[in-house]
This record gives sequence, C-alpha cells and structure tokens, in this order.
Amino acid sequence: MGAHTMEPASSSWVTLLGDSDRRGGTTAARNTAPKELLWKVTLGDSIRSSPVLAAGVVLVTCRDGHLYAFDARTGRERWSYATPASVHSTPSLSGDLVLFGCDDGAVYAVDRTSGGLRWKAQSEGAIWTSPSVHRGTAYFGTHGGVFNAVDILSGRTQWSRRFDGRIHSSAYATDDRVYFGCSDGCVYALASSTGADAWRYQTGEGVTASPAVKDGLVLVGSEDHVFYALDAGSGAVRWRFQTGLGLASSPAVTAGKVFFGGKDGHVYALAVADGREIWKSPSIRQITAAPLAGASLVCVQGFFGTTQAYDLNTGDTLWTASLGGSLGSTPVITDDTVYLATYPGVIYALR
Amino acid sequence: MNRRTFVYNAALGTLHVGLLGTQLRAFQNTPSAPTLQIDIQAPDLPLSKLAMPGLFPGRVVQASHAGSLLNGRVQQAPVGQMLDQGMRALTGESTSKEAWAKFIEPSDIVALKVNPSGTPTTTTSIPLMREVIRALNAVGVPNRNIIVFDRNSNQMEVLGYHNLLPVGVRVVGLDGDWAIGGRTRPGYDPNVFAEMNCFGERETRSYMGSVVSEASKIINLPCLKEHNASGVTGCLKNLAYGCFNNVARTHRFPKTYTDPAIAVLCTAPPLRAKAVLHIMDGIRAVYHGGPFAWNPDFVWEAKTLLIGTDPVAVDRIELEMVEQKRRDVGAPSLWDRNPQNLGSAADMDRSAQKNRFYREPGHIKTASELGLGRWELEQIELRKLQIS
Repeated sequence: MGAHTMEPASSSWVTLLGDSDRRGGTTAARNTAPKELLWKVTLGDSIRSSPVLAAGVVLVTCRDGHLYAFDARTGRERWSYATPASVHSTPSLSGDLVLFGCDDGAVYAVDRTSGGLRWKAQSEGAIWTSPSVHRGTAYFGTHGGVFNAVDILSGRTQWSRRFDGRIHSSAYATDDRVYFGCSDGCVYALASSTGADAWRYQTGEGVTASPAVKDGLVLVGSEDHVFYALDAGSGAVRWRFQTGLGLASSPAVTAGKVFFGGKDGHVYALAVADGREIWKSPSIRQITAAPLAGASLVCVQGFFGTTQAYDLNTGDTLWTASLGGSLGSTPVITDDTVYLATYPGVIYALR
Repeated sequence: MNRRTFVYNAALGTLHVGLLGTQLRAFQNTPSAPTLQIDIQAPDLPLSKLAMPGLFPGRVVQASHAGSLLNGRVQQAPVGQMLDQGMRALTGESTSKEAWAKFIEPSDIVALKVNPSGTPTTTTSIPLMREVIRALNAVGVPNRNIIVFDRNSNQMEVLGYHNLLPVGVRVVGLDGDWAIGGRTRPGYDPNVFAEMNCFGERETRSYMGSVVSEASKIINLPCLKEHNASGVTGCLKNLAYGCFNNVARTHRFPKTYTDPAIAVLCTAPPLRAKAVLHIMDGIRAVYHGGPFAWNPDFVWEAKTLLIGTDPVAVDRIELEMVEQKRRDVGAPSLWDRNPQNLGSAADMDRSAQKNRFYREPGHIKTASELGLGRWELEQIELRKLQIS
C-alpha cells in the first residue's frame, strides 16, 4: 500500500471505503452540498462498483467490461483496460498495480500508470468482490464459492478453498487472519498464510456485506436482519443489533462508531464498544451501498437516486444530491471534491 | 418466424385474431372507442400437453403455513413444506420428485421467471427460490442449467438473487448481455417482438427476452399483488411484462391497455409452450399500491403459495383474494370506474381509496378467451392445504 501513504489521507482512496482498514474514510469535513459540476463522464453501461482515487487519478470499473482511469481534475480519460466480460468489482490499488475482479472469473492486475496488463489470476465464478491486499497477498472470493490467496507480484495462487455458497463479501485481511462472509450464512476467519479454519460463525441468512475489524471485533451485517460484532479471536458474539430488514451494506468504522445502511432504508450509527444505537436516519427506502464516514459526516448513496450526507454525531441531514442512485457505490469525498459513480453509468466530480 | 395480428376494440370489449394478411373486421375508431392492434412475430413452436394451460387446466393448489413468515423473515423450512405438499396435491403424485418429474426432465434448461419489483419485501422470496432449485436438482437438473431471470438486474441485485442463490445457478438481467454455451447473447431477441401503438409512442416494438428462446422450460414465480394498472400482477403479467421490454407504455393516465396486451403477449408461442408451471409467492401479499407497495400498510401476511399449470385459474384465485382483502379494509373494487377515485402516485401511496388508473383486470378473462386457461370460478378446482 506504499503509494497512498505519500498523499494526504483525504485524497487517497485505494480500495473500498478508503483503505483496507475500512475506516470509511475521509478526513475532509464537508458539511455543505456540492454546488458546482467540475466534470462528468458517461460510460457505456451501468456502474455497480465504487470509484477509488489516488495520485490525482480516479479509477472506476463498469459493466461494459472496462477499468477506466480519469484525471481527477479534468475528467480526461488517461487509459482504459478492456476485459472480455462485465465488471462489478471495486478496484483495489497496491503499489503500482490496480487489481479488480471480472465476471469471467479472473482477477486482473493492471499497471497503474500505463493501464497495461501485468498478470491475471483465474478462478471459478464471477468475481464481484474487491481484492483485499495485505503483506504481498491479494485475497478474494468468487460467486463460484472459491476463496483465493494470490501473490501480488506474480499472480500465482498461494492457496484456495471451496465453500458451499457464493462469496460476495470483500475480505478483511490482517497479519494472521482473513475474514469474509458467505451466502451459506457463515462469517469465516481463516489463517492468512494457509487458508485453514480459525473459526466460523453461522448467522441466520447469507452474509454478503464486507466485514470491518476494529478493537478486536469483526463487524458485519447479515441478510438475517442482524448486525453482528464477533470476537476477532474466537468468533464469539460480543453484541448484536436487530434491524428491520436484510443487511447488504458494508460497514464503515470511525471515531468509535460503526455505520451501515439497511434494506429498510435506514442508516444506522452504533457504538463499536457495545452496539448501542447512537442514531438512525429516516428511511430512504433501501440501501445496499456502503456509507462513507469521515471527520464530520456520513454519506451514502441510496437505490432511488439520492446521495445523502448526515452529521456524523447526530445523524441530522447535512445535504442531499439527486443525481441517480446506486446499488453498491460509495462516493469519494476529498477536501474540495465529491466523486460519485451512479447506476446509469455516470461519474460526477462535484465541488 | 410467424406473425399474428390481434385487434382489440375497447368499446365492444372484443378481440379478433388473424394471421398477418388476413382481412380483419374494421372497427370504428373514435376517442371513446380506441382500437389497439398487436402484431406478434415469434417462432411457431409446437404446443405440447405441457403448454399453457398445461397438465391441470383449472386446478389451483393453495398451500398455507402460519410459520412461513416470522418476525419479518420468510422461513426456509416451512416454505419447503408448502412447496413439497403443494406440488403433490397438484399432481396427485406421492413424492415431490415424481411431481416435479411430470414437468421437468434432467436435460432441460430451466428458466425461473421471478418478480423482483417491489423490493425488498414484496418479491419472489429467496427461500422459495432455493426450494424450487432444490426440487429441480432432485429430478436431475444441475445448477448450471438453471437460469433465474427478469428484465431488471438492478432490482434482482438489491434483493440478493446474484449473491444468495446456490453456486452455479445463473442469474440474468435482460438489460445486459449474458453468456450460454460459450455464446454471448443480448438480453432481448431482435427477431421476436410485439408491435403495437398504444398512445402514439415513438418506439412501438417490445422485444422478447432471449432467455425465453434459450430455455426449454419456464417456471413462473410471480407474486400475489395488486397492480395499479392491470388490477393484479400475477402469472400472466409476470410472464408478459417480465419477458417483453418496453411495456410500461401501455398505460397513460388514466387509461391502460394491459387488457388485452398481457393476454396477447402470453400467446407468443415460446412463452405459451415453455411456461409449464406457475408458483405464486403469496407469503407477503399486496392489496393496494402495487407492484412496488411503498406503503407497508398495504402489505398483508397471507403466508400462502398458489400453485398450478393454468395461469388464468391461478390469477383468478389471486384476483378473488385481493378483492376480498380490499372489501375487508373498505377499499374500492379493482373493477372500480369512479373518476373521483383517481389520483396521483402520491395519492395512491397514501390511500387505498385512490389509484392512478382505471385498472383492467379483464386481461385474465381475455387470456381465457385466447385459450390460456379457465376464468369461470365454477370451472376452477381450488385445493386448499393448511400445513400448519
């Protein structure tokens, strides 16, 4: 992850929710709605993933099968890389590589500067997860039920395991464990180096959201309507929180709070320590995208066309933008710009 | 390819059918008596005994289980019991496997037509889908030969079909390309379409989804819901308006041409020949504000499945259930023609007294007249199962 440490934290988003810690995060304090369109680009198909930002370049995948790199200031296309199938995976940056999964069952590693292919790691089933990179290894699951650990330099598979369900949950990797959810209803913790079972916890329905790990807790929601905090070491339930419908939105964690959206349309803010509800937003019908959580605000894209920003501490609505909703895209917010990717295939840069 | 023309006269309520080139009776076309012509171009497939109305014309099984919905969650095991016993009651077979084998062969490519609109609660539920897939596996159909489809991939994704169904099952939104047998197919088949001009719209064709062409059998999985234009969205509408694109153009306040369009589209030979079984998800049901049902007050926990091979008979039972529920809450009939009860979408979402259109549930009877099933209640055999 060397590249992003050279830049201000608020302008470097190397993977889903900012960085591999899922801090969700921006240090930008943006309490007013964007008022000016800097640029917008309309792609050839729908966008189902989140943009990432680093070194002045916005990277985004599209269902038209491409990974695109745009100049963050002008929107000018720097390069694009074409795959043979649709892409639903949020790109992940590591050093000079951009990694992303494809519906053809492969993860592609593309040179971040030129857009040239460096390697391709073939697996089974469409890959909608975002590869999670930790200490030279990329971890990712597939809709074919295979979880893989791949060497980041060569693309060689270090280990892989097969599960009895689709893996739609992007992994969270630490030095010794890798955590993810599966449609079989389990949250899994595997040994990072071998893939051996550390523990598993069975929820009441599929787990499609991506977990975050904070203060020794694995934080993730399930389609069984419950948000769980599991002991990262043992998998024991430390606390649970009942919501109104299924949870597919990955959590963001900052300032002792965990934030996530629900299919019941609410954004929830809970205390990481004990699961106490701090606030709950009014419903915007249904949310499956992950919220971002920054220094002062929480922001989420709803399914029905709005982007909502809430006060981090109170949940009061700060601003709303109606630009076309998203199933699974999280905006990028820097000190001066908001980048949004929408379901109709439009990327906005707003000041 | 064959081409067939249907001419509907709204004032007379009559529908005439002829092959292209046949002289059709001319109707007087006045603003109060509009005439709609629908041409369908589709391959002329042979209709086996499985074709609609299928093996059991007029027979509908209603399987109910009080435990199928608990604390807002659809329960897997009770749904499995409802489906298992319902299929045995429909067919008279002693085992579920034998029941399913009356419709499905191991070599079939089976397309499951779901209803994901109205997400996230009033849709074809994931537990029901899992049980249907399990039953197909039991008769020898592998997951790779099962295709779950609808027009709108975004609605399917929000509900979780892409993420929660068994590994290997294909989930296809017709709004994008998809692959089968090493070939990439566009979502809609450019050679199979319905041509109609409802209100002078610019695009007058509705193309049929290519999954219908590729599948050898279709299992139709609609929801038990009121619909603000067609009265109910059941078996017939889920097939017609879920397999053909560009169909919302048939309604323009306050008029809708869902009758006869829904019925006519269902006669397209690929649909009629392949849709061999209809399993209606009524675990949650909607009596007003459908199909999306944004107001949860209009959703009731019916905890039931309706199963049959005759889409007209199943839809007629559904219609009676929704009408009864509306009577229970004091809402106007689905056949209401009082202009005072017309309103905006917001009015409709607030009050069960208001609606955006004069609903046209007559499409069910029209489908019966086109040979797709039985409309008259005295010709329908309703078998009720209360499982728990």
